[in-house]
Amino acid sequence: MASIPADTIPAAPPPARQMNWRFIDWIWHVRGSVPLPAGQSSEEAFARLDPLFGEYGTTHERRGDTLTFSKKDQPAQDKMSVFDRGMLWVEGAAEGTLGGTGAVLRYHLVSKTLLFCFCLPLLFIGFGQLTIGLGKLETPAAEEDKKKDDKKDVVPQLNPIDKWLGAPAPEKPDKGDDAKGKDAKSKDAKGTDGKTKDAKDKSKEPDKKHSPTAAYVFAGIFAALYAIGRVLEDRLVKSLLRKRLAGT
Amino acid sequence: MDGVRVGNRLIGTQAPVTIGWENVPRVEGGPVKQFVFTWFQPVMLFGLILFWYYAPNSIAKASTAIGIGIGFKILLMSLEWVNPRFRSWQLTWKELVIDLFYVGLGYTVLRMIDGYIGDGPMTEAVQHWFHWEKFGWFTGLPLLLQGFLIAFLFDFGQYWMHRGMHNWYPLWLPHSVHHYITQLNINKGAVGNPVELFLIGLGIGGFFDFLPRAFMIAGAFGMAVGVYQHINVRFNSPRWWRFLFNTTEHHSLHHSQDFEATRSNYAGSFIFIDRMFGTCIDGEAELLGMEGGRRMTVREQMTFPFTEGWKSIKARRERRARERGRDLSGEGEAIDLAPAGLMAPEGAAAAAA
Repeated sequence: MASIPADTIPAAPPPARQMNWRFIDWIWHVRGSVPLPAGQSSEEAFARLDPLFGEYGTTHERRGDTLTFSKKDQPAQDKMSVFDRGMLWVEGAAEGTLGGTGAVLRYHLVSKTLLFCFCLPLLFIGFGQLTIGLGKLETPAAEEDKKKDDKKDVVPQLNPIDKWLGAPAPEKPDKGDDAKGKDAKSKDAKGTDGKTKDAKDKSKEPDKKHSPTAAYVFAGIFAALYAIGRVLEDRLVKSLLRKRLAGT
Repeated sequence: MDGVRVGNRLIGTQAPVTIGWENVPRVEGGPVKQFVFTWFQPVMLFGLILFWYYAPNSIAKASTAIGIGIGFKILLMSLEWVNPRFRSWQLTWKELVIDLFYVGLGYTVLRMIDGYIGDGPMTEAVQHWFHWEKFGWFTGLPLLLQGFLIAFLFDFGQYWMHRGMHNWYPLWLPHSVHHYITQLNINKGAVGNPVELFLIGLGIGGFFDFLPRAFMIAGAFGMAVGVYQHINVRFNSPRWWRFLFNTTEHHSLHHSQDFEATRSNYAGSFIFIDRMFGTCIDGEAELLGMEGGRRMTVREQMTFPFTEGWKSIKARRERRARERGRDLSGEGEAIDLAPAGLMAPEGAAAAAA
């Protein structure tokens, strides 16, 4: 009967330090257990789980009733790609014998992505603060731009074809309006990128140009995503292991 | 693998690809589903163009565009669940987090940097240096023509920038990161090294004066055409659509694990630019990525161009030192090739061949 303490895992910090980490390592460590189907031996259980550890970038080692694995550069298609290393072991079943009621597969998995997502709200709040800071530094320059803009407030005319088709005529640019429309820097948003820069900054209020709102919105999104992911990935891996053990 | 001859090129000798529209699977299901996934793209495009053409000035502004863009992407993400092109591309929590991290960088830090050293300030500097004025006559053109020209000029510039990235090693280094993705999803266009995301966003639109409404119409092409490059949805795009516009099919070939296939379909929205220059290949691929499907970590995505660039410089220096040593000693040994991973695309092709 193999009995491995749930808090020991290869490549983890030494026990003395790990004791401290235990208070917060739930952020990126996932622990749990799945009961083995009645009569299933540890040998059979690991045989059923084996395909999970044959993925690209995954190495694993089995010693008795314990399996350790680590992943590097795992592709999105890997069912356990969110985890980077971990340990699975069977408790309650003698090696090579049939496990009775009470035999369980325990696991302890580590995910850098969970930790990354947990830290992202802080990073984006930092971006928001940086934006505000830059805005304060630049205020005098922005006021100069505003003076220049005042000279260029000429209302363009619509082409006669557009007048005939009924398109609304352009208005004098409103300094408070958000005519910028700069979309995110992505390859599929490029159509919106750059062009605006024109109509753009000229008619921008400095506080809008240096708005931290986007950064705070993303901080909120990542906080929500972390909460969802911590619960979802826990459940998904449990469900995955249960299904594999059951052979479904 | 034998591959398929397209012009004078052999496509699919290294990884499976599907070439030719007749071989690309169609949407499966009832008539309603077929109808929706055939006409969704054109209806959305023309709907957006009409909206921006006729919307009152109080609505036709950037905040509306951003709102529509976010709503449209959420709709497309739901379509990815309803009718995925490939199950192997289905979005996972991890992929969503990393995709949104890059989207977030685009909306925050990259936008900030772009405000200082992007194409806007660069255009202003050029205009100031040469005492140029903006092309004011542009605003007198019909709105739709202005909108199309803005979108076309940007895409034309992007085509050459993108093609340059696949042909010149210093530009390939930052772009290569984007090619390590192993699936296409709606936000995957944002995934890449920030240097590349900056470069790919450069345009010459700043030289032109245009009506804000025309810019919104141009944005409709990016939102309702370019967005489909990285989407995991199977559409029965009409024949005229896939002749004119870039599609997931085209872009999946560009991302395939087959080297020759990646050297095609460079345009963002208008695939007819590729047709003009002979780089268009019609078809699709499911198996994507580099190095057999190695998925880079975020840390590597951030550092790869610099670490690989440094390795290449070091390898070149060592090679030259060896050559000099051989010249001095009069020996004529064969020179070691740089590791395949350090080679520019052309070198990698030669090595693969």
